[in-house]
Amino acid sequence: MRSIVYYVREFLRPEWLKKFFFAKTAPLVTPSYFKDYPSRTEKECTACLSCMMICPAPGAIAVLRKKDGWEPEVYPGHCIRCGLCVEACPEGVLASGRILDVTRRDKTAFSSWYRLQVDDTLCMRCGNCCVSCPVNRQVDPQLAGTGTSASDEVIMRIEGGRVTILHEEKCTGCKTCENNCPNRAIRVARMVEGVQGEEAEA
Amino acid sequence: MSILQDIKNAVRSRSIHVSYVDVGSCNGCDIEVLACLAPRYDIEQYGIYVHNNPREADVLLVIGSVTPQWVDKLRDIWEKIPEPKVAVAIGNCPISGCVYARRGTLTTPPVENYIPIAAQVPGCPPRPTEILNAILSVAPLIYKDYEEKQP
Amino acid sequence: MKKTVDVSIPLGPVHPCWKEPVRLKCETAGERVLRTEVELGYMKKGIERIMRGRPWQEVMFLAERVCGICSVIHNMVFIETMEEISDIAVPPRAAYLRVIVNELDRMASHILANFSYCYTIEHETLAMYLLNTRETVLDNLERITGSRINTAYMIPGGVRFDLLPEDAAAMLADLVKVEDEIRRHTRIFETGPLIALRSKGIGVMSREEAIRAHTVGPTARASGVEESDLRLRHPTYRALGFEQITRTEGDNFARIMVRFQEVFQSIDLIRKCVERLPEGPIRGGGLCKAGEASYSGEAPRGELTYSIKTDEYGRVLDIAIRTPSIMNIEACAHSMIRDVTSIADVTSTFISSDPCIACNER
Repeated sequence: MRSIVYYVREFLRPEWLKKFFFAKTAPLVTPSYFKDYPSRTEKECTACLSCMMICPAPGAIAVLRKKDGWEPEVYPGHCIRCGLCVEACPEGVLASGRILDVTRRDKTAFSSWYRLQVDDTLCMRCGNCCVSCPVNRQVDPQLAGTGTSASDEVIMRIEGGRVTILHEEKCTGCKTCENNCPNRAIRVARMVEGVQGEEAEA
Repeated sequence: MSILQDIKNAVRSRSIHVSYVDVGSCNGCDIEVLACLAPRYDIEQYGIYVHNNPREADVLLVIGSVTPQWVDKLRDIWEKIPEPKVAVAIGNCPISGCVYARRGTLTTPPVENYIPIAAQVPGCPPRPTEILNAILSVAPLIYKDYEEKQP
Repeated sequence: MKKTVDVSIPLGPVHPCWKEPVRLKCETAGERVLRTEVELGYMKKGIERIMRGRPWQEVMFLAERVCGICSVIHNMVFIETMEEISDIAVPPRAAYLRVIVNELDRMASHILANFSYCYTIEHETLAMYLLNTRETVLDNLERITGSRINTAYMIPGGVRFDLLPEDAAAMLADLVKVEDEIRRHTRIFETGPLIALRSKGIGVMSREEAIRAHTVGPTARASGVEESDLRLRHPTYRALGFEQITRTEGDNFARIMVRFQEVFQSIDLIRKCVERLPEGPIRGGGLCKAGEASYSGEAPRGELTYSIKTDEYGRVLDIAIRTPSIMNIEACAHSMIRDVTSIADVTSTFISSDPCIACNER
């Protein structure tokens, strides 16, 4: 009997009633430091393709030509929200969570460069790589179907029946040559180094 | 009739049974589905009950890119779920294959090739709030006017 | 001839207690389970095949996605293997930050393992308490790295984000809360008479069996195997004065208690790290070079080994991963689930060894 009275008194307390009828879970907010899908900032994209080259997920980001200049586009469903593109972008075009602020404060960055490697035992000297390379095409629009070129400014050309790499530093790492090679003889290595301090600013 | 139907719709959308099946993911999404059970997110306050029995389920959460072992078993599980039913793809894997959709992989994404998918929750892994929102937005649609749709 | 096997009961691949697909075939006589066989292969994605020919920034994410629960340690062991190959030195601040993130991940993993055990023995109240505590741990992980699971925190020669002083203070405040809660949950688990009925003396694995089956991690430590924690050999942990936790009972209860004690130990380690956190850079740079190395680290489930061969541009030519769960699952099937008196104990014993199927099959 005493316990019933106790429970009735317990349940009639206004704070208990209030808690019972108006109970709410904590608001389910996404914290500001969560790395969400990268969004655009006001900065202008220079189409250096750093974000595309460092992206670890297939088909997650593409730099597309829009009406007024270039624009990186992120595809949800492919993007894994790692935030590497935000850190790799030299202009700060993308933002996600507080990565942009943190990298600016700590002066951290990723420096990346690309190495070309031709396996002579596999290469058939077809010249597909030289013709398909977008940088080559820009430098020398007359690049012939055999991959020979009169220009010295191209990344690679066929010289004396061999692929010769002239300007490795111009490579943007797009791997078009690798995909167009019938024999997988040419390989592009994307090398990335995480740096901090004065190196990162240079 | 329609008032009765409205009441049925309202009540049924608060009583959803969920089953999840992992068809080859990194199990990051599995534990995010489990985290929905936690008192902080508390999936059961919305009337959603997670238990892993396909025969009692209304919503099937598919997690992972499809591995060869699951090609026939996933269809079996889908057939065992009684009508009406929907499947929700959780994470990037069932949508695109995530990082596994590359040369040399053994998986065969997407899941849409095997069973019909009603909703997708992208993210690797999605946050529990995102999963909750997806299930809650799909839940009222499953039973909506179920009797009237019957021939 | 007398019939010994009554019925062969399959458990799984879709089972309310398993988070991941695995099938156990139990041969029973009455309620007694005579033999158990593990059937794997539902999760084989071919990650090692995908990894070949890729640079570290892509393999890092694949390594992380070997296992979502213990993603940080996969990242850490892969990156430390690459550092060993290429002779990259890590700044001291980065080394301490790695330990902090790794211990937070280990706490989350251990609490999740204990959650699934409590869920399996149908002690749902304690399970939900634990799951809520895990959310607090994941909040701290998110505050440092920006995501709850699959954090992508470590890179060769350092880490990606620094730990701010205000974040460190918030983390220490949260850790006090977590420690309080876990101490309460441990007391509930230790003193609960019904939990003791389901846990004590069930699934016993002796020290000899544990050594013969090459068990690793908390499963081995609960059976009293000394020197089985690879954190003893890690330089940063050694500087922090790490000591291994060992129990001698070898039953389900001991395995869960070892994990509870390791959570307290992780909290202590994080506190020591924050206290001794040196100033300085968090990234040293350094390029990956050609070479070959094999390196092990202590995952929440035990020893994790990466054997990697790289070419001159730092691309992974060949890789082999040995994950801890494969030994624990075999030991569990052959040593623990042997002559258990009830089919209900099969699931709880299996979960108590914390199997991770995604790790196992990759």
